[in-house]
Amino acid sequence: MGAGFYFSTLQQMTSRIPAGMRYYIGAEARLRRTVEDVAMSVFEGWNYEEVITPSVDYYDLFEQGMGQREAQRGFRFTDNDGRLLALRPDVTSSVARMAATLLSERPRPLRFCYAAPVFRQQTQSHAEWRRENTQLGCELIGAGGKAADLEVLRLAAEILSRLNLQSQYCITINNVEIFNGVAAEMNLALWTREQLRRLIDTREAAELQRFLRDYDCREGQAFSQPTQLTGKRDVIQTARRSITNERSVAALDSLEDLWTEIESLGLQDSFEIDLGDVSSLDYYTGLSLKIFVHGAGTSVGRGGRYDGLTGSFGRSEPAVGFVLNLDALTEVLGRKGKRS
Amino acid sequence: MLTIAIAKGRMQVSALALLARAGICLSEDAVNSRRLAIMDESGQYRFIFVKPADVPVYVEHGIADCGVVGRDVLLESEADLLLPLDLDIARCRMVVAAPDPEAMTNVQGMIRVATKYSQIARSHFGSRGIPVEIIQLSGSVELAPALGLADMIVDLVETGRTLRENGLTVVEEIAESTGRLVVNRASYQLKADEVSHLLNMLTAAKS
Repeated sequence: MGAGFYFSTLQQMTSRIPAGMRYYIGAEARLRRTVEDVAMSVFEGWNYEEVITPSVDYYDLFEQGMGQREAQRGFRFTDNDGRLLALRPDVTSSVARMAATLLSERPRPLRFCYAAPVFRQQTQSHAEWRRENTQLGCELIGAGGKAADLEVLRLAAEILSRLNLQSQYCITINNVEIFNGVAAEMNLALWTREQLRRLIDTREAAELQRFLRDYDCREGQAFSQPTQLTGKRDVIQTARRSITNERSVAALDSLEDLWTEIESLGLQDSFEIDLGDVSSLDYYTGLSLKIFVHGAGTSVGRGGRYDGLTGSFGRSEPAVGFVLNLDALTEVLGRKGKRS
Repeated sequence: MLTIAIAKGRMQVSALALLARAGICLSEDAVNSRRLAIMDESGQYRFIFVKPADVPVYVEHGIADCGVVGRDVLLESEADLLLPLDLDIARCRMVVAAPDPEAMTNVQGMIRVATKYSQIARSHFGSRGIPVEIIQLSGSVELAPALGLADMIVDLVETGRTLRENGLTVVEEIAESTGRLVVNRASYQLKADEVSHLLNMLTAAKS
């Protein structure tokens, strides 16, 4: 093999970039910075304190915080003593641990925000090609109930409208306890529960009806018409016709209360109820939300209530939060800027 | 306006017939032209015609809001999409076929499987704990067992004639496949009214 061959492979090695990674240059980098500044100033306006968490942490932390399935998507490597480390696949886990340990004595509620890159070795879908994403996020810890849920929803809406995305975004809300209550009522085994969840998540109407036919349970019918799961207040009215179990009804009540508040703020055009959003059931314990923006093919943000999380670090308390994907937002705004 | 990606070939013909019954009409000239993106007569829908395997790609990225594509293609792509409607068109079966009708009971050690659908084949045999070597081909899969390249094939069959003519019998059915309407997750929320209007019209036209 000649020297020329050796040189060209070496050059190839150093010029290649790993999949899912990218540069931001000049105007694009500036736009990205502006988006970040807007979000952080809105957080600051609501008295959220900035927090910077370690980029590298024990893998166990993320497994506790996100569940095994999600944590496994992270980049993993070993420490000097052989313990498994991870490049953080999320920030929430670390903030929850901090609240439960380092800041356990601080008066509640705690309000934290961050702008931090997270890393996933395996992406969630083909359309989300990035393996490094910067999350603009906030966590409200030690506050439960409607007021706290509403606070984070208002924050998300404010950031999006400050980014001039007014009337171009849609935040969907759900309460995961509605599904959990019905699944408990139907007495489903773990595997069939997952099957039902998946059919609702992908809105497979015909398969759903076939699945539900095998169960003599009126409550399940609430999910049999996927098109009736998405909309405004009427979605809840429709669901009430077939759902009567205590757990789900309580969740429907609190979702409806939240919707009333959204209406009284005049935000109902930017929000939708989506009872079919059952994508992260193991994680959220009440409210769950997803954020969509015209021009982006996947959601640009998500969040919800995760009252179970801090408990796994030794101090159980209510918590709610959300993240926006800075890179996805920058892409949408960049394209809009070019067009106008 | 909704952009709808249609799988070219067999699916396209039945999909356009169903759409016409639903009142969404494309002019004859436009369909016969070589243009790959055309508007319907009402101007509410833009159609793009792409290779079947590309339909999930366009829809998952949100370039197309909806798509019409076979379930076989969806299983193979493992795309993250909504599948609200089975259109009951272009029905066919995904099967395992072999020269030996008893092939599945005579499995020894491991088997070699030739297929265009490597994901489907891998997960089908994987879930049953059968070790397989997948041989990825891009066409004329039926040849592989006769020439000794593979023990079995995984392929799509409509009538089964090609299988018979090449000395193969169906030893197992993996799944039935029909044309599906798929929808991008973001479009489902952001264009909720248009998408549910389309869903209602297609549901009515189906029956």
